[in-house]
Amino acid sequence: MAKPAPSKATRRDFLKYAAAGAAGVAAGPWVSRNAQAKPVSITFARESAYVKNFDDHFQKVMAPAYEKATGIKIEYQIQAAGGSAPVQLVSMVENKSGADLAWVQQEWLYRDALVDVSDIAEAVGKEQGGWYDEIKRLSIDKGKWKSVPMGNIGQLMVYRKDWFDEVGVKKFPETWDEFLEAGIKLKAKGHPFGMSMGHGFADNYSWLYPLLWSYGVTVMDKDGKKVALDTNETAKAVDFVRKLYKEACIEDCVGWLDPANNKAFLTSQISCTNNAYSIMVSAKRDLPEMGKVIEHGLNPKGPNGQRYHALVQVTHGVFAYSKDPQAAKDFLRWIMDPKQFRPWIASGDMYFAPYLHGFDKAPEWDIEPRVKPFQKVLETGKLTSWPAPANRQHGEVVNRWIVIDMFTKACTGTPTKAAIAEAVGQLKTIYG
Amino acid sequence: MSKVLEASRAGALSAPAHRPFRFGRLGAFMERESVFSWLMLTPPMLFLLAFLGYPFIYGVYLSFFHKEVARAASFVGFGNFVKLYNDPIFWQAVRNTIIFTGVATILKASGGLAMALVMNQSFKMKSVTRAALLLPFIVPTVLSTVAWQWILDPGMGLFNRLLVVSGLATTGPSWLGNPTMAMISIIMVNTWRGLPFFGISILAGLQTIPVDLHESATIDGAGTWGRFRYVTLPSLMPVILIVTTFSIVITFFDFQLVYVLTGGGPANSTHLMATYAYSLSMGAGQMGLGSAVALSMVPVLGLLLVALTFFVRKD
Repeated sequence: MAKPAPSKATRRDFLKYAAAGAAGVAAGPWVSRNAQAKPVSITFARESAYVKNFDDHFQKVMAPAYEKATGIKIEYQIQAAGGSAPVQLVSMVENKSGADLAWVQQEWLYRDALVDVSDIAEAVGKEQGGWYDEIKRLSIDKGKWKSVPMGNIGQLMVYRKDWFDEVGVKKFPETWDEFLEAGIKLKAKGHPFGMSMGHGFADNYSWLYPLLWSYGVTVMDKDGKKVALDTNETAKAVDFVRKLYKEACIEDCVGWLDPANNKAFLTSQISCTNNAYSIMVSAKRDLPEMGKVIEHGLNPKGPNGQRYHALVQVTHGVFAYSKDPQAAKDFLRWIMDPKQFRPWIASGDMYFAPYLHGFDKAPEWDIEPRVKPFQKVLETGKLTSWPAPANRQHGEVVNRWIVIDMFTKACTGTPTKAAIAEAVGQLKTIYG
Repeated sequence: MSKVLEASRAGALSAPAHRPFRFGRLGAFMERESVFSWLMLTPPMLFLLAFLGYPFIYGVYLSFFHKEVARAASFVGFGNFVKLYNDPIFWQAVRNTIIFTGVATILKASGGLAMALVMNQSFKMKSVTRAALLLPFIVPTVLSTVAWQWILDPGMGLFNRLLVVSGLATTGPSWLGNPTMAMISIIMVNTWRGLPFFGISILAGLQTIPVDLHESATIDGAGTWGRFRYVTLPSLMPVILIVTTFSIVITFFDFQLVYVLTGGGPANSTHLMATYAYSLSMGAGQMGLGSAVALSMVPVLGLLLVALTFFVRKD
């Protein structure tokens, strides 16, 4: 009989009570600081977390603690996960209403609507071991922090260890060539890979961009002025993906939207995909037998010998249109205080990995050994714009799937050179 | 004869009984048919202006501006349209929209006609069958589309399972993963959803055809095909034309179905103008460019409305 997944109730309870106590004490200074003209409420919009405890912790522990200490009610507006949050944020920003602060997963879109939060970000960095360099390239605009980085939703290769073992692949492939070799064997056994290449978000770019980088290619040059995609290495990367798709993948992965690879993995249609560890969370909860055999592997190395991962960044920004941006900033400062922030992050089992070196050796990374590889994503992680600035043009490239479609077109019949030329043409139009 | 009746005949009682209730000048003003009609129309007109007119005008305004999310707009004239003219994805979306609308409408019209002819016959469980056939039309689009995502799943979807179980294939096609199949799939789902609208409308038309027309045709020697060709079809043409025109408009602007099923992929093979406008404005934050795509759809809508008005008047 299958053993149920180990309960974390005790740890969670401890965290909950400890956090509630700490939160009350920590909010003390805010009471005096905001004694005059406090707002009645602050609206905080966030996309629903895949790890339910994370949202629960905020709603049941943090929000009531803040209200108790300051008298300010926190309206926690949970937006549907899976790509609808940016749409709602666009609407909020354009209508100048809806939330005082929010998670801004694509900060470059809303940057001009956000207030300067340098004081908070610098204090948080100083207090918690300093920020990872790569994330500074996102949140700092013209010398000012426009959002406070909250965490990275790590994306790795999620695979079925039992099936890999069956075909003699005892260790997760180190290089893309070995990855293809393993995929061919697994597909022959009826366990193809399922590498997302459709019009979704993150699961597609979190392996295709790193693959491109590991072939020594970047989309734009360092200054973001010149298109750098039109190279022989790009052609090699495109040819590799076409081969991987034909020989190792399930056919429909070129059309997958966000939840499709989770669904395919959990229904045993595929043996490997690139994803956050939400697949493992679901399997441990609903399919305990499968939950035991899921492992996470780092993205393989490319011909340049390097290994890369794409950051799926979550930051928090305060909207300039807020009736009281200072009150929203005070609240943001409060949630980023280690007394609140650490238990909050722990409640999500490190699903959101902070870009703070103070968490590098955090005990939470040891709770589940299979989660630990996600820490490596921070070390080798790059923004999708890398090495160019993360700006609006880059956002347009990502949100119009220009690079993803270059690969998809090649997989579905377009010759390599034509697929690259089309992408290059689009990039030139977007970057001007 | 009673006194009341006498008085009535003499006209003494008739005046108060027939005199309309009046509020002086206001009453007289209200009695004018046109005024009353306009007053009744005002609330829906205001509603339409607020929820359709304003967004439309704002959309037209935006399409002539370079407008990004959270930034001020700057006038670019026809700049956005020039950009679109040089954008291969835009032309792919136009092509896809025309194919999607044309094929789906033809399928819905022919299928709807067949459905109506069957529904017009007498058989057991006729009312239950009619109600069941309406189901696709009343289920919210997003819900039914999510169900279709499962049905079209290549590994465990209903379609491919049926193909495998029946021995017709060892593995079914990749319904949403292959560009051609993805287009076929979205057309199929749109047809499934729109068929009852045609079926019910044409059925209503069928039931208005006088029986004696068919009887006369039979006496004149017309067979089943002859009666259909010379009596049924000509009688139904006004209904078919109106429903088809409506359907073209609705299908042309279909968004939810494609957005939920494919997001315009794979490789833009199912991007319609509506989904492309959405991805440009809400995804990439290019509000001006997205509005220009949306506005490009308006001339087509205008032509369709002119056609619709023409057919309705002719009828």
